[in-house]
Amino acid sequence: MPVKNSKPYSVMKKEKTEELFVKWIDGLLTSEEEVQLAALVKDDPGIEAGLQEMKVFGETMKSEIPGSVEPPYGDFFNSKLMRKVDLQIQSQRPAKKAERWRQSMRWAWAPAGALALVLSFFAGHRLARPADPGVAQVEKRSDRMSELPTVYFTGESLEAKVISDSLGNVSAIVVNGLSAISDDIDFVTVNTSASLPESYESSEARRFH
Amino acid sequence: MNFFRWVTSKQLMAPAGASPDAGAGDQEVPDRKLIKACQSGDTRAFETLVTRHRGKVYAMVQNMIKNEADAWDLSQEVFLKVWKALPKFEARAKFSTWLYRITHNVVYDWLRKRKIDSAGELDDGILNQADIAAGSRTSPSVTARPDQALVNSELGDRINAALATLNAEHRETILLREVQGFDYKEIAKVMGCSLGTVMSRLYYARKKLQALLSDEKRKD
Repeated sequence: MPVKNSKPYSVMKKEKTEELFVKWIDGLLTSEEEVQLAALVKDDPGIEAGLQEMKVFGETMKSEIPGSVEPPYGDFFNSKLMRKVDLQIQSQRPAKKAERWRQSMRWAWAPAGALALVLSFFAGHRLARPADPGVAQVEKRSDRMSELPTVYFTGESLEAKVISDSLGNVSAIVVNGLSAISDDIDFVTVNTSASLPESYESSEARRFH
Repeated sequence: MNFFRWVTSKQLMAPAGASPDAGAGDQEVPDRKLIKACQSGDTRAFETLVTRHRGKVYAMVQNMIKNEADAWDLSQEVFLKVWKALPKFEARAKFSTWLYRITHNVVYDWLRKRKIDSAGELDDGILNQADIAAGSRTSPSVTARPDQALVNSELGDRINAALATLNAEHRETILLREVQGFDYKEIAKVMGCSLGTVMSRLYYARKKLQALLSDEKRKD
C-alpha cells in the first residue's frame, strides 16, 4: 500500500544523490554514505571526475576570494556608524525614561488601587444614606405638594378635597355635594342590572355565552 | 554612569585602532563579553565588536551585490540593525550565525528594493561600478589602486564573474560554505531554509560554477 505524503522514489533519490555529492566534496561522508556513492560511481564513472573538478574549484574559490575585506576608510566607517548609534540612543531616551518611570512607579499601583477602592466605597455609602431630614424633607415636601392631583367633575355642584400627609402622599379624596345614600337600600338584594346601560349588558352576554 | 559598566569598559575595551597592539588586545576579549557589555549600553564595546567583524560582513555583502559603495552603506545598515537587536540576542546563539542572518536580511531587502526600483530597466549598474554616478551616495566609493589591481589574480576575477551569474540564493550558499566556512546547519539558519535546500543549492551552485569555469578553461 502506498504511503501518503511520501515523495516519489526518483525525487528522493535525486535529493540523496545531491547530498552524497556535496558531502563527498566537503569530505564529510560517513562510511555508509561512501558505500552508497561508490555504487553510484560504479554505474557512471564520469561522476567522480566531475566531483573532483568541483572540489578543485571549491578550493580555488577559498584561496581566491577573501573571507574578510576591510571596508574602505575603516575609521570613517566606525565613526559614521557610531554617530548613527548615538542618534539611535538619543531617540530612544525619552521612551526609555518614560518606561523606567512606569517601572519605578509599579510599587505604587497596589496602594493607589486600594485607596481608590476605599474612596469609591465611601462615596457609594454616602449616596445610599437617607437624606438629612432638616433640609431634604422640606424640598421633597414642596415638590410633592405641587404634584397633588386635581379632581374634575361634570356637575358644578360637586367639589373635592384632597387630603395628604406631610410628605405629600395622598391618603383620601373627599367629594362634597353628592346626594346622600338612602338607608333603605338593601345592598345584598339590590338589582343593579336595571341601572346598567344596555350595551354593557349585551357585551357581558357575549363574553359569557 | 554605572560604576560596574565604567570599570568593565575600562578593563575590556582598549580603544579600537589606538595602538598597534590594540587589535591583538581586542582579540583576547571574547565576543560574548563584548556582547554583554553592549547589551548594557556600552557603545565602546560595540565599536570593538564592529571593528572585529566589519571585514567579514563587508566581504559578504560585497560578494553578494558586487558594488563597493552600496556594500559600504549596507554594512553600516547591518551593524546598526545589530545594535538595535543586540538587547534581544540570546547568549546561547552563535554570534556569527546571528550576524550573518542580519546581513542576509539586509542584502535581500536591498535586492528586492532594487528589483522593484529597476523593474523593466536594463540594470547593468549592479555589475559595473563605473556606471554609478560619482557622488550618488554619501559613502566613499573607491576603485582599486593599481598595485592592488595587480594583486587581484585573473583566476579570482573569473571566479567572481562566474559567481555573479549565479542567483542570489546559490551565490550566498556557496559563499557561506566555501569562503566563510559555515557548516550546513549554520547556512540553513542564516538563510532561513531547510538542510535539504542547502544541500540542493550547494550542489547546483557548484555544478554551475564548474560548468562556467570549465567553459572558460576550454576557451583559453
